[in-house]
Amino acid sequence: MSDWEPKIVSFLCNWCSYGAADLAGVGRMQYPSNIRVIRIPCTGRMDPKFALTALREGADAVWVSG
Amino acid sequence: MFARSRVHTIDPVPDSDDLSVRYITEEGETVTETFDQIVLSIGLQTDPEVVAMANRLGIELTEGNFCKTDTFSPVQTSRDGIYVCGAFQGPKDIPQSVVDASAAASAAGESLSTARNTLTQQAEVIPQANVVGDRPKIGVIVCECGINIAGVVDVPAVRDYAASLPYVEYVAKNLYACSQDSQETMSELIKEKGLNRVVVAACTPKTHEPLFQETLINAGLNKYLFEMCNIRNHDSWVHKNNPDLATAKAKDLVRMAVSKVALMQPLPEAELNVNQTALVVGGGISGMTAAKSLASQGYTTHIVEAGERLGGNAHHIFKTATGDRVKDKLAALVDSITGSDNIKVHLNTRLSSVEGFVGNFKSTLKNGDSESELEYGVAVIATGGTALKPDEYSYGKDPRILTSLELDQKLIAGDPALKTMKSAVFIQCVGSREPDRLYCSRVCCTHSIDNALELKKLNPDMDVYVLYRDIRTYGEREYLYKKARQAGVIFIRYDLQNKPTLTADDNGVRILATDHVLQRPVEITADLVTLASAVIPNKDEALAQFYKVPLNDDGFFVEKHAKLGPSEFATDGVFLCGLSHYPKPIDEAIAQGRASASKAITLLAKETIHTSGTIAETEPAICSSCGVCVSICPYSAPSFIEAEARMHAGKASINPVLCKGCGLCVASCRSGAIHLKGFDNDQIFAQIFTLNEAV
Repeated sequence: MSDWEPKIVSFLCNWCSYGAADLAGVGRMQYPSNIRVIRIPCTGRMDPKFALTALREGADAVWVSG
Repeated sequence: MFARSRVHTIDPVPDSDDLSVRYITEEGETVTETFDQIVLSIGLQTDPEVVAMANRLGIELTEGNFCKTDTFSPVQTSRDGIYVCGAFQGPKDIPQSVVDASAAASAAGESLSTARNTLTQQAEVIPQANVVGDRPKIGVIVCECGINIAGVVDVPAVRDYAASLPYVEYVAKNLYACSQDSQETMSELIKEKGLNRVVVAACTPKTHEPLFQETLINAGLNKYLFEMCNIRNHDSWVHKNNPDLATAKAKDLVRMAVSKVALMQPLPEAELNVNQTALVVGGGISGMTAAKSLASQGYTTHIVEAGERLGGNAHHIFKTATGDRVKDKLAALVDSITGSDNIKVHLNTRLSSVEGFVGNFKSTLKNGDSESELEYGVAVIATGGTALKPDEYSYGKDPRILTSLELDQKLIAGDPALKTMKSAVFIQCVGSREPDRLYCSRVCCTHSIDNALELKKLNPDMDVYVLYRDIRTYGEREYLYKKARQAGVIFIRYDLQNKPTLTADDNGVRILATDHVLQRPVEITADLVTLASAVIPNKDEALAQFYKVPLNDDGFFVEKHAKLGPSEFATDGVFLCGLSHYPKPIDEAIAQGRASASKAITLLAKETIHTSGTIAETEPAICSSCGVCVSICPYSAPSFIEAEARMHAGKASINPVLCKGCGLCVASCRSGAIHLKGFDNDQIFAQIFTLNEAV
């Protein structure tokens, strides 16, 4: 098995998913550490260029949640 | 599956973890079933210590040991100056407790209104340093949060790493960054080191950003020159078995935050005056209560009522569940409204327009052909509801078939015919809990049972029947049900699939139903049939549009938060109460009237409000006037600059007060002419570009 680990960039809505990620912490839910969160004010702010740039910068996946 | 039954015994099944339940069905059959788990839905009672406290305070309690209150003053205890809220007043869920809490606050506010602002102190305003054009000098504080972060993440390593990042001039770690002394130290450090940007790597900005922003303000920095990086909720707490990976992630997050904060600019917040006048739409019980509370705390209040008199549905109600004559109480309330110098009542009037926003609304009031303008700071919507006119059970075709409110009219008038009747039938859930109106109208079980008792009082020999689907005399109203059973009122349950049928002729109204105890059809001949018809909202779509507040599928207004924001809308400066929200009895409508006033006053008392700095702004020189932002914005913040304007005519501009900073317009602008301050493209790209640097 390869020890390759994906790098995931997540764009989370401040009002829901970002708060949900906070709650996951409060609940001490454990998950892999591969994601890096960028807080955005609303998924309405999400620009396709953000996703494309993240991929170009070496991210293996982009996750938008809101 | 719902099984109407009485549970007889619960026994553990030998040699297993199962439980055997024995219950008796409606048909009288004994059934034994095995389950893995049993959840008991238990009742609420007052803690004996609370009962003792009530006795010490000299507060009267009810039969069920709850705090005694009056329908028309639902948060006032029997002792002046002591108010009550929550489950001590009666069994209730969170939303009603929150309503009560706000109502109690407003009751206390009314008695203390002359003392308002007599003990407040003016906060010292620290002048803001001008950092525009200065090279970023970033301070990074890494919080240990006791062991919450430091127990997993190598905090000193993160701190040392932060020191290696561009523009970082100062780094520190802190046991608790949010503690009072840490705040003071941080504020001193900002001044001493001349820092002009700050990153705090700690918990979540959703709870702690305002606190640290306050520290920046105290240090003379604009509060937007700040970024929080979440190394607790998003890191140490969720990767506690991988300290190395968590530390690497913390470093990444700090690097991203540093790259973003370097690009942050000081942002202004507009300060707006809050117009100190209130508008209440609807002059029923809840609207009048809201107006009275606002007025008695010193605010000029206008009531706009579409009808020709104040009082709404209360005019049609005989008495409350606690036995008060509504007419007398209503007259006293109307007198206090018309006698108040602070209240202006506009009868036969509707709103024909609403412009503006929180603190600065402007409306046109239309009374017949005459129109007038009104400027106000807050609005309370209390447009009420009405009783459904049924289209079943021969309603409207026979004078012996009435709705509950029509029976109330006869009781108010003291109709002598009521005394001589031999038999009366109440049919429940008429139009409620049906496929096209799924909700429960909440007031009708209590209303019918109360009226059944009233008829029994007028003529104890009268046969009184209640045909029902479920009896929902919630809270201590349940005592009325018990009283009705004792008085000989006969309760017969029916199913939605097997509703009672009704035929009327000269000998009486014949009702055919299936008795659930006898398990066979019964025929009742009645002199009077009362239909407990549904409460329906005065669905006001125009008003919903005016204030941008939502209506649900049934036509009731939808509050800000089902549990925690029951008396306010998501739209700032707009509040709600009464039947327009959902069906409720008088005590709940009054509590909510007070609660909406209380919420409105917290806004009015501020006198000024600050808008957020993280909002969108257009660059008119690049704007192509395509109008996408104008059409896409849910808050109507963008608009075109007037064609006659000297500058940028026809270009889009964004009203900073209406903008909520969601960024929808920014992402949809094809010209790249809109910037979202605090979340601008360069700031988000900076975070993306620094995602992947080797640590």
